[in-house]
Amino acid sequence: MSRTATYHTTVRWTGEHWGHLAMGNGPEMPFAPPPDAQGHANVFTPEDAFVAAANTCVMLMFIWATERFKLKLLSYECRTEGTKLIKLDRTEIFTRLQFRPVIRVAAGDESPAVVEARVRRALASAQKYSLVANSVKSEIVVEPEIVVDVR
Amino acid sequence: MAEYLETTVDKFIFRVATDRLYNAEGVWVLWVESHENGRVRVGLTDYVQQHNGDVTFAHIKPAGTSLAAGEEFGEIETIKATVSLHAPVAGEIVEVNAALDLSPEIINQEPYEKGWLAVIRATNWEADRAQLLDPQGYFSLMRSQAEEELKQL
Repeated sequence: MSRTATYHTTVRWTGEHWGHLAMGNGPEMPFAPPPDAQGHANVFTPEDAFVAAANTCVMLMFIWATERFKLKLLSYECRTEGTKLIKLDRTEIFTRLQFRPVIRVAAGDESPAVVEARVRRALASAQKYSLVANSVKSEIVVEPEIVVDVR
Repeated sequence: MAEYLETTVDKFIFRVATDRLYNAEGVWVLWVESHENGRVRVGLTDYVQQHNGDVTFAHIKPAGTSLAAGEEFGEIETIKATVSLHAPVAGEIVEVNAALDLSPEIINQEPYEKGWLAVIRATNWEADRAQLLDPQGYFSLMRSQAEEELKQL
């Protein structure tokens, strides 16, 4: 079994502050900087891509974890916020990624407290095993809202 | 309190308790109290728990189950794998760690202490003991297993 894998994207300048992005997995789209960095609204940006990469990866890892932890997932929605810091030398860094997942699971025939504890362990595993979360140097904060449906 | 042999492979630190014996799969065997009562406690090594990831469930056969040496006595499910557990000695399971029901993560947190799996009343100890590794023997085997894994990267 190979222990490495590679992924690629290709970007091409299309004029002014615009580019075209081709993802290795198929999708293509224009991109630009965000409005706060001399860019445009309503277009894919590197900043969104960074936050989205972490958000999507943690969600998918959590879905995997719910299967391994035998949780009956009813819904999952997560707003993730990346905080950019502009340093004294004008370099920029994402210092923090704050995840706020809202998770609903069914208790089934188990105690809600037991199920909630398992959801928290699944979330911790999702963060631990998320390729992207594991690859960034930003502080990662996860503040879940967990609803265990006992009906 | 157990003492440990310790090694670092890549960025990972693996410990092997020096007060017990091991099979090659990384199941440890520790006498409970004294040799006379014939009971051994079994569990998983630090290397096995780290290598297989966060434990999600532990399924150990119930007390009263008779086992031949090498027979499956349970399995653990982790975030990444399902691992069959094979009895290091023949005997009868007399106790299963009840804490594993609600907190199987103790296998990850304290593999040599609170994360034990079961107590077995050994029925063929002298013969089975000859098949087990002492701490230094398992330490060398574990280190070579870890280094072999590393070579595949």
